[in-house]
Amino acid sequence: MDQVAVTAFFQTLVQGLLTGGLYALIGTGLSLIFGVMKIINFAHGDFLAIGMFITLALFKAFNLDPYLSLLVAAPIGFSLGYVIQRFVLARLGDRLGEGSLLATLGLGLIISNTLLLGFGAQPQSINVPYAINTFKFAGVQVSVSLLIAGLGTVLAISALNLVLYRTELGRAIRATAQNPLGAELQGVKTSNIQAIVFGVGVSFAAIAGVLLMPLLYTFPTVGENYVTKAFIVTVLGGLGNLPGAIAGGLVLGVIESLGAFYVSNNYRDAYGLIAFLLVLLLRPEGLFGKTVKRV
Amino acid sequence: MRPIQTLTALAVLSLSLASAQSTIKIGAITSLSGRFATFGAMQQAGFKVAIDELNAKGGVNGQKLELLLEDDASDTNKALNAAEKLVNAKVPVIIGAYSSGVTKPLSQYLARVKVPLLVATAIDETITKPGNPYTFRVNNQSSVYTRSLIDELKRIGGMKTAVVLTSNDAFGKSVLTDATKLLPAAGFTVLSKDTYDKGLTDFRPLLNRYKGQNPDVVIFASYEEDAVALAKQVKEVGLAPKIISGIATGFALPDFLKGAGSTAENFLVTMVWNADVKYPGAASLNTRLKAALGGEEPSQHAAQSYAAMLAATDAIKRGGTDPEKVRVALESTKLNTAFGPVTFRDYAGYQNQNSVVGLITQVQGGKFVTIGPASAATGKIVLPKR
Repeated sequence: MDQVAVTAFFQTLVQGLLTGGLYALIGTGLSLIFGVMKIINFAHGDFLAIGMFITLALFKAFNLDPYLSLLVAAPIGFSLGYVIQRFVLARLGDRLGEGSLLATLGLGLIISNTLLLGFGAQPQSINVPYAINTFKFAGVQVSVSLLIAGLGTVLAISALNLVLYRTELGRAIRATAQNPLGAELQGVKTSNIQAIVFGVGVSFAAIAGVLLMPLLYTFPTVGENYVTKAFIVTVLGGLGNLPGAIAGGLVLGVIESLGAFYVSNNYRDAYGLIAFLLVLLLRPEGLFGKTVKRV
Repeated sequence: MRPIQTLTALAVLSLSLASAQSTIKIGAITSLSGRFATFGAMQQAGFKVAIDELNAKGGVNGQKLELLLEDDASDTNKALNAAEKLVNAKVPVIIGAYSSGVTKPLSQYLARVKVPLLVATAIDETITKPGNPYTFRVNNQSSVYTRSLIDELKRIGGMKTAVVLTSNDAFGKSVLTDATKLLPAAGFTVLSKDTYDKGLTDFRPLLNRYKGQNPDVVIFASYEEDAVALAKQVKEVGLAPKIISGIATGFALPDFLKGAGSTAENFLVTMVWNADVKYPGAASLNTRLKAALGGEEPSQHAAQSYAAMLAATDAIKRGGTDPEKVRVALESTKLNTAFGPVTFRDYAGYQNQNSVVGLITQVQGGKFVTIGPASAATGKIVLPKR
């Protein structure tokens, strides 16, 4: 390989990792919600769209820097998730049942149609001059906004990890995930914990939306593009397994990028799905999941 | 001779119906929602400006015009339902749809029910080649866009290699086929040709590959959102060919300039109409289209739709409101509009195909400036320094 080809390979690898980081961020929210509540959140992509549209609206109205929108989008995402869990999902009273499945599917439809009413169907993007800035590192050209997105992902996931393993709240969350009844008996208000977890999951999707906005465009059903990726990421890593979701995201990003670079772009979605099927066949518990015998 | 008798009976019937009506209804189908909504809005503005202009002059044959506009939601099945509804409403002619993928089946259906279809925007080759007697196209076919670009590249000279990336649909594939045929004939080596699926937002791996191949020319054909993403990511990966170009559609939209900002600078974009074009009335048309769009800059799609509406009403003026007579009248259309001349001819395997001069524009200072062909140019090409 000549120098140009080597640089192109490394550039693809780096960009694949950074894109994979964003997949990981989206997948982490989904995986966390599943891990604690055993709910598959089909509205996850639409929460991501909410994050994107908040950024768009704030930029249009106040010319607000897209990254400052995080301060608005993250709390709104959290509150939305908290309220939805508390007043919609918790009332369905079933676990792994079709109730929560249909409810999240319905929520997704409501969200995308509300966005359609409010913002119209045409794709929209924001244009901040620095969003297209790049820098060169050892010949590899990296986009500043893609790097910010990658760093944002690392920060958000590290913060979540700190909360989960270093705080009382985290202990309560882990207890609720392991055994809700047992946790309840120890004085943990599991209904509150579950609402918090759903809120965090939703705010992760919204944060990913904000980080994506300077790079991409948005439209009301943009979430569809990402929700499949999020499912692949969570299953690759093992459902409910957070480090697994991160690894799954990175693996997916790199597989897609290198596949499109070397083989053909036409099968881009297939690369992820092939990896997904292989993992399901060979390690149904996911790359990082523990084998659990169900009682 | 039965079909002719039936047709005459129908003609008499619809003529008597028409005289009883107070307005002449013209059917139109475009994408007011869904992924092509921006183009649909452009088409709507074009229709409206044409109808307002004609009604202000007293309508056609003493009757006012009324537009029956249906939304296909960027979906083929919805477009076919809309067409059925319009056919049942006895419209003499239908204008539409926006995209090639939707328009092709529409043209086949309308040929079956014998209602003429005027295609304003869709550019897939196969819509008029072989085509059918009921389909007329105002816009150029895709090969004209591609050919005029490649002619311009040859004229500029000094370039040998090219890569082509298009969307994976009727329009994109049409461009890909044309480009990979025309480029070698013009002395270019095609280093890569790729298509991408709708919803792909990460073009970086492909663009990295092109960067490694170091082509002189990059040719894209995409709808709007992808055009913006492509321009941004070209800058991001540091792909720097001598010429980077987009075949009409997404790249020809004012929204492309807005969304892509400085990354759009120096892009060559082929189109058939631009605000600075030298047709009589073009500047006034641009002003009226802008007003109809609520202050947004119009694109060629609005002007094409305006011309299609003029052609439809001109045919009704000469042939009446019977679909068959409108079809016959369309065949002898000879119009000079602010969009350019409109005539439907059969040539080189195409049927009922208008031919408009393909313009080459370049994004300069955030605006489309016409730089080719020489007869239409209002500016000069800027070649980035290498």
